[in-house]
Amino acid sequence: MADNAFLYDGSLCIACRSCQVACKQWNYLPGEKTKFFAKAGGYQNPSDLSSITWCIVRFYEIMKDDEVEWLFRRNHCFHCTDAACIKACPVEPVKAMTRHPKFGTVFVNQDLCIACGACEEYCPFGVPHVDENLVKARKCTACYDRVANGLLPACATTCPTKAIRYGTMDEILAIASARTKVLQKEGFKPVMYGKKQLGGLHSMLLLPEKLDYYTDLPANPKISRDLGSLEQPTKAMPSMSLGVASLGLAVVAIEKLRQRRNSLMTKKLEEVESD
Amino acid sequence: MTNHWIDIGNSDCIMIIGSNAAENHPLSFKWVMRAMDKGAKLIHVDPRFTRTSSKANIYAPLRSGSDIAFIGALIRYIIENKLYHEEYVREYTDGAFLVDSKFDFNDGLFSGFVAAKPTYDKKKGGWNYQMDAEGNPKLDKSLQDPRCVLQLMKKHYAQYTPEKMSEVTGMPKEKFLEIAKCFCATGKAGKAATIMYAMGTTQHTYGSQNVRSYAVLQLLLGNIGVAGGGINALRGESNVQGSTDYALLFHILPGYLKTPRANNASLKAYHDKWTPKAMGGDKSANWWQHTPKYMVSFLKAYWGDHATKANEFDYHYLPKLDENTNYSHIALFEAMHEGDVKGLFLMGQNPAVGGPNARKERKALEELDWMVAADLWMTDTMEFWKRPEADPKKIKTEVFALPAAGSVEKEGSIVNSGRWMQWRYKAAEPPGVARTDSWMLGQIFTKLREEYKKGGVFPDPIVNLSWNYGGGEEPDVHLVAKECNGYAMDSYTHKDTVVKKGQQIPSFAWLKDDGTTCSGNWLYCGSYTEKGNMAARRVREDAPNNIGLFPQWAWCWPVNRRIIYNRASVDLTGKPWNSEKPVVRWDAGKKKWIGDVPDGGWAPGTKFAFIMLPSGHARLFGDPLKDGPFPTHYEPVESPVRNALYSQQTNPVIKMWAGAMDELGDASKFPIIGTTYRVVEHWQAGQMTRNLTWLSELMPDMFIELSHELADEKGIKNGDRVRVTSARGGISAYAVVTHRFKPFKMNGHVKHQIGIPWHWGYSGIAVGDSANILTPHVGDANTMIPEYKAFLCDVEKEA
Repeated sequence: MADNAFLYDGSLCIACRSCQVACKQWNYLPGEKTKFFAKAGGYQNPSDLSSITWCIVRFYEIMKDDEVEWLFRRNHCFHCTDAACIKACPVEPVKAMTRHPKFGTVFVNQDLCIACGACEEYCPFGVPHVDENLVKARKCTACYDRVANGLLPACATTCPTKAIRYGTMDEILAIASARTKVLQKEGFKPVMYGKKQLGGLHSMLLLPEKLDYYTDLPANPKISRDLGSLEQPTKAMPSMSLGVASLGLAVVAIEKLRQRRNSLMTKKLEEVESD
Repeated sequence: MTNHWIDIGNSDCIMIIGSNAAENHPLSFKWVMRAMDKGAKLIHVDPRFTRTSSKANIYAPLRSGSDIAFIGALIRYIIENKLYHEEYVREYTDGAFLVDSKFDFNDGLFSGFVAAKPTYDKKKGGWNYQMDAEGNPKLDKSLQDPRCVLQLMKKHYAQYTPEKMSEVTGMPKEKFLEIAKCFCATGKAGKAATIMYAMGTTQHTYGSQNVRSYAVLQLLLGNIGVAGGGINALRGESNVQGSTDYALLFHILPGYLKTPRANNASLKAYHDKWTPKAMGGDKSANWWQHTPKYMVSFLKAYWGDHATKANEFDYHYLPKLDENTNYSHIALFEAMHEGDVKGLFLMGQNPAVGGPNARKERKALEELDWMVAADLWMTDTMEFWKRPEADPKKIKTEVFALPAAGSVEKEGSIVNSGRWMQWRYKAAEPPGVARTDSWMLGQIFTKLREEYKKGGVFPDPIVNLSWNYGGGEEPDVHLVAKECNGYAMDSYTHKDTVVKKGQQIPSFAWLKDDGTTCSGNWLYCGSYTEKGNMAARRVREDAPNNIGLFPQWAWCWPVNRRIIYNRASVDLTGKPWNSEKPVVRWDAGKKKWIGDVPDGGWAPGTKFAFIMLPSGHARLFGDPLKDGPFPTHYEPVESPVRNALYSQQTNPVIKMWAGAMDELGDASKFPIIGTTYRVVEHWQAGQMTRNLTWLSELMPDMFIELSHELADEKGIKNGDRVRVTSARGGISAYAVVTHRFKPFKMNGHVKHQIGIPWHWGYSGIAVGDSANILTPHVGDANTMIPEYKAFLCDVEKEA
């Protein structure tokens, strides 16, 4: 399958964070009410991904041979091949968490999502989040709506230094390999992240320094054994209306999730009634 | 910029100094990265390790305010090691010119110093070239005469050794040598280095000299006029270049014509005073000899048919500057504080946050009878009367807030740092009752004229003003642009071509000094011609020399020349120094220049390269400046150290203010160096970003940055609330404790510096204390730009 993919090249990124803002703009996501976030040296905010923040830039200040270095990492959905979120999604027969049949990236079908939170629970990277107002799981869509119309994803479009690239997997791997050679020539030991992890990620990172410095990036992300082995890629686009959640996925603590969803729905209903 | 954004990609070595381009001009990094892809080296010199430094091959720390000690040491390195581009220095600069025997320099003071004023008497001090009997400068083309500019320069910078440099700047000597080796290698013909700079360079009491030191450096290396070279000012807003070209500053009229002084009592006196005489005979193009044509065409644009030869083209309608009065930002607020200014118009400006010594400037606003302020949101300045310190009951100022249209809500042009005038279209209607600036000005003018028609003091300039911008409520921007370009007021013949009355003028060479033409800004003559609106062009096609000029994309002043001083990119026969990236090339067969629009079409060798200067040679010896022909290291007005080079501590000719709230601090009480800067997440005084949720989210709170070493001394931990104080006041902020700031070690002394972003204020979504509470009311000797970048302060953990 000729999947598409992202490449984030940390050696080109200037951490201008315009990807973060472009993502909010395209996806109509509201700003978060944030506070100074000391842990990330004051520069990162919001402190993590959320239902209304699908893309952030993380900062890593490190000391290397007595000299300071400042590393950056764009953090959004990795669009895994072995996607825990898809496996965990209990909606049947067509899952709400789904793989785009043409692009291979992963998105939440908002019509089908029941906000059970299973994807949030199982994602090894902490990407999807259930939005308590919309009562839906929300995350990076890889801008399939833009890509289907011949545009690049918002983040890749806005990036001034081409640190974020998007294209077919072959194109992306070719760019990564060319950049790796350039960086090696300049004396870097770049690390390619995402070729092997979880069956291959559709958002790969080319990092100028070793993984240890990127303290919150798991070198070997694992998905819960409960979810089984590599999923079968979903071929068909969901065209069904909202189905009833299957209770067949015994491994999920489904009761807990149902309770959460019910409480969200109740809260939402109360809000609607009080309006 | 001498060059332009795309051209950065042609560079072999990029030095970013006094700028955090990655954060404040992120798009510039598209071209920086393009150059680096091709093997260019990136050098970043800055007090603080920033997002720019993170991408640099060499990062070198430099104590705020010590640029000239560093650049001076590079100049010394170049001269001592003969790394300068000799042919270029000899033929294109004044390096070979002999200087008056009276000129001297001693312990930080140039000859001609008048302590009482304080100022320099340049004539007495011999700040001029030696002239021969014909009135041409005397030269020594061997560059050996001890009185030639190059040798005087060598002497001037002899003290600026790497060791001394390190003692002044705190930059390790090894880092300096690494930079020197890399940057100065571009003195070789065919190699180019560029300098990207911004407010870290200019916002000092010797900011103009900082910039000049870069120009000197680049001239020695032959890096001016060539592709990938130049000195490139990164403008802080999308249209700062345009606003400067159109005379937003008090000392110039549009097109950099001089503002008349009170003693320029007639138009003839003005022309005599400001039209330079050529030096060096016919080979000097001395382009400013055309000043009268540009001035008269400008007056015709203002007063149209009313401006006639008989009334000196209404020259007397122009306000004249009093030679002894300063009209800069600081001076205006000083006067306002004294109650001498009654009314204030602000358009897109928020001085309550952006002005230096903000407590004083906010207080000064209380003295106004009225303020009219146009902006997209309610600004801190509009709301100064309810700021934390204020008692609204005691403030009489009447504030009129005019909601303004944003840049995408109106049609018109903006001029980017690379001098490109780009036409923009209206993308959306302004919200509510918001109106464009031109609508506001048009309405105010029309109403004022109605009033003046009834009488008043000196109504003539207003009543007789030519206002031909259509009959609508809003001036037609196309008519405005056409007038800026200029058109024929009467039919005339220029070199056998008839220009009919009303026709657009094709180029400023066609402007006349007899009232036949009008042009609101001679530099923009050629931007809107009979062929149409040149700024609206969008042809994505490069010129044949293929160096990214894209000559049919928009339009660029002057005459669509994309790289200025390009006659210096070739040797005297017209052969490019760099055959792979030629800017222009003389085609001897066709007898014409190929490539960029050349600095004049004359054959190579027939005119000197720097056509705007009377001598035709670029100035290593900068006699027009007020504070010396050679950039010289002085300390900031507030500095924790003695000047290690001279007993003269500070720039001797700056203006000091001694009114209320103008206190200066000393290192015994305020031992830490403070500097202000911007972050990518906010813009300027914050009114356009602290009111947007998406951007407030990124950087919600005011913070300062300090080193681990200083934090340990003060018992401050990352994320603590701290109090920063200066002689002017105090602010609270979060502390970012970081390795990106390091104490400066200078000859055994250790001095700390902290960094303070200046975007925050009390209005908007993201609010916080303003850095400019701390900054002093002192400015550059030449421009009066405030010294925001180096002052004294202290920091303590907040109780």
